[in-house]
Amino acid sequence: MTGWRQFMAILRKDLIRELRTREMIISMILFVLLAMVIFHYAFGVKEDVDLTYFTGGMLWVTFIFAMLLGLNRSFAQEQDERCLDGLLLCPVDRVTIFFAKTAGNLIFLLIIQVVAVPVFTLFFVHRGYGSDIVLFVVVLLLADVGICALGTLLATISMNTRSRDLLLPIIFLPLIVPLLIAATAATTTIFATGASFGVLGTRLLFLLGFDAVFMVAAYGTYDFAIGE
Amino acid sequence: MPLEIEVEGLRKTFGRREVLKGLSFGLERGGFLSIFGPNGAGKTTTLRVLATLLTPGAGKVCVAGHDVREDAMPVRRTIGLISHNPMLYLDLTAQENLRFYGDMYGVEDRDARIDELLDRLELSHRRYDVVRTYSKGMRQRLAIARAILHRPRVLLLDEPHSGLDPRAVDILDGLLAEIRDEHTFVMVTHNIAKGLEWGSQLMIIENGRIAYEHAAGVDPDAFVAVYREHVQEGSVL
Amino acid sequence: MKKLVSAPALFAAAGVLLVTGLLLAFLYSPMDASTMGYSQKIFYYHAPIAETALLAFGISFVAAILYLRSQNDKWDRLGVVSIRLGLVFSILVMATGMIWGKAAWGTWWDWEPRLTTFLLVCFLYTAYFVLRSVVDEEQRRATFAAVFAIIAFIDVPITFFATRFLPAGMHPTVITSSGTGMPGSMFVSFFISMIGMTLLLVALIRRDLGIEELRDRVADLKHSIGG
Repeated sequence: MTGWRQFMAILRKDLIRELRTREMIISMILFVLLAMVIFHYAFGVKEDVDLTYFTGGMLWVTFIFAMLLGLNRSFAQEQDERCLDGLLLCPVDRVTIFFAKTAGNLIFLLIIQVVAVPVFTLFFVHRGYGSDIVLFVVVLLLADVGICALGTLLATISMNTRSRDLLLPIIFLPLIVPLLIAATAATTTIFATGASFGVLGTRLLFLLGFDAVFMVAAYGTYDFAIGE
Repeated sequence: MPLEIEVEGLRKTFGRREVLKGLSFGLERGGFLSIFGPNGAGKTTTLRVLATLLTPGAGKVCVAGHDVREDAMPVRRTIGLISHNPMLYLDLTAQENLRFYGDMYGVEDRDARIDELLDRLELSHRRYDVVRTYSKGMRQRLAIARAILHRPRVLLLDEPHSGLDPRAVDILDGLLAEIRDEHTFVMVTHNIAKGLEWGSQLMIIENGRIAYEHAAGVDPDAFVAVYREHVQEGSVL
Repeated sequence: MKKLVSAPALFAAAGVLLVTGLLLAFLYSPMDASTMGYSQKIFYYHAPIAETALLAFGISFVAAILYLRSQNDKWDRLGVVSIRLGLVFSILVMATGMIWGKAAWGTWWDWEPRLTTFLLVCFLYTAYFVLRSVVDEEQRRATFAAVFAIIAFIDVPITFFATRFLPAGMHPTVITSSGTGMPGSMFVSFFISMIGMTLLLVALIRRDLGIEELRDRVADLKHSIGG
């Protein structure tokens, strides 16, 4: 019970803070929307080029890079005024901090997606995928959890280093590639032709496995990642 | 009287630099230990070990009967840390900050306790303002509320007077006087006058070792002479 | 520490095995029946190098866990040394793989699952050294590096699995779950090369560990005289 109260306390604090300053969400949304415009001109070399088979990739590349922005912010505020010390002084299992931070980042990413996905669909997806919406949301959620769990673990390490935000992409991107591959493949299939749980079964299981494996890995190593 | 703080053979290395080279001291319950010493002597490191923010490299460190390495959780419940960094979230209000820490420490009567502390620290009128708008003195007062919110038995003070204007120093001292009897204190300070005023036990750390130890009641001038004798580098007065 | 085998002996044994493996590959093992011809001979080095690289990363994974449990510097040194060698071997895997690809299929690069995995592995473990370079304090550096080494090693099979979601590659599957698809005469040459390569890794790790220990001691001594 203590753990739950602490989890909620950290999550609530991060949400209040972000909804008050909106610094993370605003820049992430702007980044995502700008990226779409840039993608359009970067890939749309001719007017009749069909971008359908790029859509999954565009979507996930954008989200992953947007998340990099968010992850850096989410720990930068703990560094201000040595709040991290205050947090570590509390009688709290370090892993609770991990889960609360992951949950917070997940909520922020979902907020971004609620805005970005409809715009993206309007811009790039020519096939209505309303019938696959449940499948799409499942892919989204599974991939988001992986991005946030791994991202939170690595952001914790990088904030404790000299180069902070410079280090994060270098350690985060190579590790997230497998998730990107699976999520992209699944999303593109949904956008291009439509799919069923059966068709995407392996990829969904893979994403689920990815989430589970790195949750467990973070559970085992977070005490060390957050410092002495 | 049982010892509230017990340190034996404490060592700590950062990389190749040995910062603490075997400290041993004890502090009785209700005592007030003032630790002096030049910059880089290991004062803050000692305090951070007591606060469980650093693990001891070697030696035994017990706070309120709990080993800081094996039994960190009960130690954390027992201590409060007031440092020159307020450790407050600037974009949250005073109330939100205290609620957050109240939940983290599992304070049962959270809201009543917050009301009580905000009254006592004369911050009630600003409780719904974000901390970013506070003056340094107000932040420091709120930091005190944060540190004693969960009714710790032991208070660790890291240069609490540094950077405060005289008015804020008076308020801080007033508060310390008020809570003096309920707590055991360890204060790291450069401020010899304050350290002597409060301390029931005095200690000078130099170069990772205890250079001098004495019970309170030393003549200030004599103490300054002792300090000069033990500490060559760095002026602190 | 007393060693069972001297360092030169270990290197010599590795060298003899590797040369023997190579000679057998050309003189004893049958010519590949498919279109690959002589270019297939590189397999006798390519695959053992790949397995040795993975072995090196496996060692770093174990060393990382042991470091986190004991905070003993020697495990950190083992981690650094084995990842550095793993990285060198991975680059060799890519080089030999590319040579093979050029000879067999006429292209230097193909987004084939194994080759792609090794490319990502190279990025991953290069990042390990970037991470080390931005943490000043030794214990903290070793701790973060260990956490990263654990995560990275877990990621390797996941990456390998994920790369198969792309269109199927052209890599010949030699070892399948039903056993090795090799005739005995191929297997002997391959096996000897593999043992040789593994011994080479062990010899190199031992040598590098010695160097790292010396480096640490020099730093200690420098520090003790106030350098």
